[in-house]
Amino acid sequence: MEKKKLILPHGIPGHNLGEIEREVPASEPPAWPVNDKLKEVGKSVKRYDALAKVTGQAKYTADIQLPGMLYAKFFRSDTPHANIRSIDISKAEDYPGVYGIHLMKTDDGNYPVVKYAGQPLGGVAASSLAIAEEAIKLIEVDYEYLDFVVDVEEAQHPEAPIVHKEKIASQTDGGDVGVTHDGTQANGNVVGPSTGSFFGGPRGDLEQGFKEADVIVEHVYRTQVHTHLPLETHGVVVDWKPGNMVVYASSQNTAAMRDELADYFDISKGEVRVISEYTGGGFGAKHSAGVYGPMAATLSKKTGRPVWLMLDRKEEHISMGNRPNSIQYLKIGAKKDGKLTAIQQRSHGTAGVGLGAGVGRIAQVLYECPNFATEQYDVYTHAGPGAAWRAPGNVQGAYGVEQAIDEIADKLGINPLAYRDVIDKSDIRKVERQRGAEKFGWSRRKAPGSDSGPVKKGMGMAQSTWPRFVTLDSTAEVRIMRGGAVEIRSSVQDIGTGTKTVLGQVVAEEFGIPTEDVSVLIGDTYFPTGPGSGGSVATGSITPPARNAAYKVKMELLEQIAAKWESDLSNLVMEEGKIVDKTDDSKSVSFKDALKGMRTSQIIATASRSDDYGGFQQPWGLAHGDLGSVQFAEVTVDTETGFVKVDKIVAAHSCGRPLNPAQVESQINGGVIQGLAYALYEYRVMDKQTGFMINANVDQYKLPYAMEIPEIESIIIEDYSGTSSTDAYGIGEPANIATAVAIANAVYNAIGVRIYEIPITPDKILKALNKI
Amino acid sequence: MNRDNLKSKNESESSPEKTRKGISRRGFLKGAGMTTVGTVALQSGVLGNTLDEQSLDEKAIGPDAELIKLKVNGESHSLAVEPRMTLASALRDKLQLTGTKVVCDRGACSACTVWIDGKPVNSCLTLAVEVQEKEITTIEGIGTPEKLHPVQEAFIEHDATQCGFCTPGMIMTASHFLQNHPNPDLEEVKTALRGNLCRCGTHPNVFKATLSASKKM
Amino acid sequence: MNKFSWYEAKSVEDALSKVNATASDILGKAPNSSSVIFKAGGIDLLDLMKEGLVNPSTIVSIKNIPGLDKIEYSEQDGFKIGANVTLEELENNAVVKEKYLALHQAVAHAGTAQLRNSATLGGNLAQRTRCWYFRSIDHQCYRKGSGTCYAQEGENEFHAIMNNKTCASVHSSSVSTALMAFNATVEIAGPNGKTRSVTMEEFFVDPETDSRTENILASNELITGIAIPAVNENVKSFYIKQGARESHDWAIADVAVVMEMSGGKCNNAEIVLGAAAPVPVKAEDAAKKLRGKSINESVASSAGKASVKGATPLANNAYKVPIFRSIVKRAILNAV
Repeated sequence: MEKKKLILPHGIPGHNLGEIEREVPASEPPAWPVNDKLKEVGKSVKRYDALAKVTGQAKYTADIQLPGMLYAKFFRSDTPHANIRSIDISKAEDYPGVYGIHLMKTDDGNYPVVKYAGQPLGGVAASSLAIAEEAIKLIEVDYEYLDFVVDVEEAQHPEAPIVHKEKIASQTDGGDVGVTHDGTQANGNVVGPSTGSFFGGPRGDLEQGFKEADVIVEHVYRTQVHTHLPLETHGVVVDWKPGNMVVYASSQNTAAMRDELADYFDISKGEVRVISEYTGGGFGAKHSAGVYGPMAATLSKKTGRPVWLMLDRKEEHISMGNRPNSIQYLKIGAKKDGKLTAIQQRSHGTAGVGLGAGVGRIAQVLYECPNFATEQYDVYTHAGPGAAWRAPGNVQGAYGVEQAIDEIADKLGINPLAYRDVIDKSDIRKVERQRGAEKFGWSRRKAPGSDSGPVKKGMGMAQSTWPRFVTLDSTAEVRIMRGGAVEIRSSVQDIGTGTKTVLGQVVAEEFGIPTEDVSVLIGDTYFPTGPGSGGSVATGSITPPARNAAYKVKMELLEQIAAKWESDLSNLVMEEGKIVDKTDDSKSVSFKDALKGMRTSQIIATASRSDDYGGFQQPWGLAHGDLGSVQFAEVTVDTETGFVKVDKIVAAHSCGRPLNPAQVESQINGGVIQGLAYALYEYRVMDKQTGFMINANVDQYKLPYAMEIPEIESIIIEDYSGTSSTDAYGIGEPANIATAVAIANAVYNAIGVRIYEIPITPDKILKALNKI
Repeated sequence: MNRDNLKSKNESESSPEKTRKGISRRGFLKGAGMTTVGTVALQSGVLGNTLDEQSLDEKAIGPDAELIKLKVNGESHSLAVEPRMTLASALRDKLQLTGTKVVCDRGACSACTVWIDGKPVNSCLTLAVEVQEKEITTIEGIGTPEKLHPVQEAFIEHDATQCGFCTPGMIMTASHFLQNHPNPDLEEVKTALRGNLCRCGTHPNVFKATLSASKKM
Repeated sequence: MNKFSWYEAKSVEDALSKVNATASDILGKAPNSSSVIFKAGGIDLLDLMKEGLVNPSTIVSIKNIPGLDKIEYSEQDGFKIGANVTLEELENNAVVKEKYLALHQAVAHAGTAQLRNSATLGGNLAQRTRCWYFRSIDHQCYRKGSGTCYAQEGENEFHAIMNNKTCASVHSSSVSTALMAFNATVEIAGPNGKTRSVTMEEFFVDPETDSRTENILASNELITGIAIPAVNENVKSFYIKQGARESHDWAIADVAVVMEMSGGKCNNAEIVLGAAAPVPVKAEDAAKKLRGKSINESVASSAGKASVKGATPLANNAYKVPIFRSIVKRAILNAV
């Protein structure tokens, strides 16, 4: 392949900004300078679809209504563990308004074993949702009831009821690409351990490491199960006509859904079209077509009509994913000078009937430590399956690691912020600590528990890392049309993260036109395949192809103009809405007029994500570097009532080249608030007596609302690495990892006692203070 | 005070035998998952009073769909609804006004907020038959893409949408609040919005947008 | 929701002649072709109906009955508040805010602004518990006739810490906490033009007395209003609600304190705890600590302690005890 050399910005402005020379394919566009010198990129351009959203015009999947459409509803198990002897649907079938019923069967033709309360067993399509619900009440199931277990500790007992007697294959959980499970048979309900990640396995000698340690911190940390609760539930509208299945989906991965459905029904991918124009939140749980996609499609095929199947709130809570809990044993040793000598981690967590309850790789990679080992176990329980959620595993893992590091600092008598300077080699986090501490006013921090009076203030901080993941199978198409249209097309979707807007900005920058002049057509698998919106991969994966495709189109247009002007192509520039020959003032045409003069109706180019400049390719995509972040928390703890309130969060983050700072800030706010909810409020409540989730609604599942929202200040640090034509990365995961543990560290600073379990509800504070 | 005594006393005139004794409370509910859906026989004669069904039927609506009139965003609509149809469902499914979102369906998230006679209420906990004489305002009625409400403008300006699913409810709440509180501070804005759930964590920008809109109203 | 017919009652008499059950009468029972119940604001009822717990054949709307939406006030007699007055109207009543601060605070913290625009005072009093077992179609609990209170051995962090051995649910009306502290009475209309007036303590009944519901309303009775005795300018009050969050939430613990002060001393006091027991309870031992005393931190603190004396918390709700101690103390100190 023909190569050329590019000089790209490298480093952090105000810290170590420099340049780096990279050899790149000749087809790559020229290097962009830092954001300051760009017109559209790096600016807080208004969100593309805000107008549709604020006027109620945005059509989400739940809003789709098609002629002749039926409404479908799952019928679900009302017991957590049972064999099904028979299901009688005769009354439901005869119920007026019912058009189709589909019962789920295993490959060998049997009814599935019920493994959690609320497990889908079949679906009913009817002329209205109410009729579907009524018909479901007429379905009679004859169960053979079996013992069940919903508690992660009880499930590990040798006598516990077994959830899966069969092997469960490796589970892909969407947001995280680490290898966590190999599909081996569980020992009872316990699977594992997983001992490695793509960063490698255990290293060094733990025993020796702890021997060398001057201080050791050893605790068990616990985190809860919480459910994603996207405001729009999972669901689809499927209109399956012969040879053409159109699926409107509330999805964060249209292409994956298309592939799944084509596979499931053994039809060509070309026959399936998945459209996600608007998706009402996902947070990791909406990568797959799940059971609901095939169910709606089956009912559509059966009835010959479009079928609407959106889950209700209870179904969403119970069956559509959650962040698994964790019980983490963690032991960390350090020398007097602070250097870490050994880290030992052992975790158990439950993703219900699913897998993916590891605690990530924060312990492995955040700090240098020669001796390290982790054992991460999955424990099956009779509960709904877990799903990826913003930095899967790592949020749980950080809760242990970053408290333990704080505690070591305390034992060594070093300020926890200064201690990170000793053990953390990351350049970006160093800058984040400096700038964050200044903005936060870290110097105000007092000794733990030193406030007098019953209401105490505290400050804490915590750090995180997330790799720069990229999906190589990411393609964008850019087209310009004679007469004026500029379009970017890809199947990548915008679930509220702002993908539409940044794609518009990138194309606009390349063409030298305002962002608003670019049409962004995405969220449709009739367009080239884009990445999923998960793992913070979307921006880093799809913006370089978008720019490269625009660059190709631009060069083709310039070639046409150069030919017409008899100019040297290399003298033509396209900027500020015009094309000019920089050697001849008389040769100038506006971008709009240039489009009018195109030889063909359109110029179209596609581009796919290429290997990172410098070549950091991993077999499963790309990951290098460090989307490091540092967050600071200030809290108030009422030691009489046990209530914690977060007053302020300062969040210092990097995402490579930030393309749209306002949207980056919005996602940071989101990560912080979800972290705060995790730290203080939300948890799934399973009743051990009956096996049901008993707070499967919005009323009793406690989430923060306006009064719980602290002042949030974000610091977005440009961090150029010269790795692609946009050098941009995501922010969804990094924003969410450090918040909960920063709050826990602040609570410790307020009351002088550590809380090892979240959510930090008043009972835990009062217990820690020996008040109950 | 014993409620059973009270009831038998009250009922003694019409029907002395109809006390609550002997009424099965098992109904169709499941005790810890021990029964199967729909297999328990319906109880009959469980209720004390004899209903004068004739007189009720004459004036009652339903249970099947009947035509009602709703005045939404200044326009009158005739639509057939069952009495059980919520206003949210009537707006969304019958009038295609899908800007109003249903999230919790139980009044706990305020995503379905609309105004009834100028006051914000949960359309998921309001029946369509109840609001026939009322002025109903939805997100589609407070501003249009061509002529935005100042709160809508401010939401765009301050990036107060992420996934956008809570946005209509937020705007219906914030815009009503500003009508009555022209110059609020942050705490007042938070208090006004404390029933509106957002999962993306857009609240800080919603606060900013609301404060900023207050200066333009 | 199951299908039902809809009838707009023209008067209290009209309504009473139509209904034959309360929502509680038919709660947990299979749909019946002749169950006719009331609905006012419908906040609680529609929640129960959507869960499938209540399935009436006809709903009689009492929302538009003339006269039930009035607030009357006189300095001598205090308030007469119609059952259909919304919480929002009550929240914005200037006299309530000035003279009955605890009531204003309780109302202003009930639900959301949206809910308060629909919710009526009568409906707020008659609402059912938010116990998660009770609210779940999947659990046939004591209140639904099974004899099993799942909270005893189950998940009980939000449940009662007093009188909790039969049913550990707590009543959800925080407005009642304040009304009881002001010694309000509930006006009830029955058949044949009969009316009765009961105190808040009489209105609420223990689970042992009636497993089925928390109040004395019979199938053919209707709350028509609330009367609140007059207060003089020496009456001070305060209400504190502690929920899992400050935004709209049910109380984990709430308290209303009403004190009649005279020259720095407390002549008389009422302290009512909400979310402590299955129904709101007067903390008489705590109130005794105030009567005849000058109010200071130590007196308030002793009342706080007395308020939860004898509490019998369950496995997960002992934390409520110190919370009550604290908020009772704080409410007292804030009132004066």
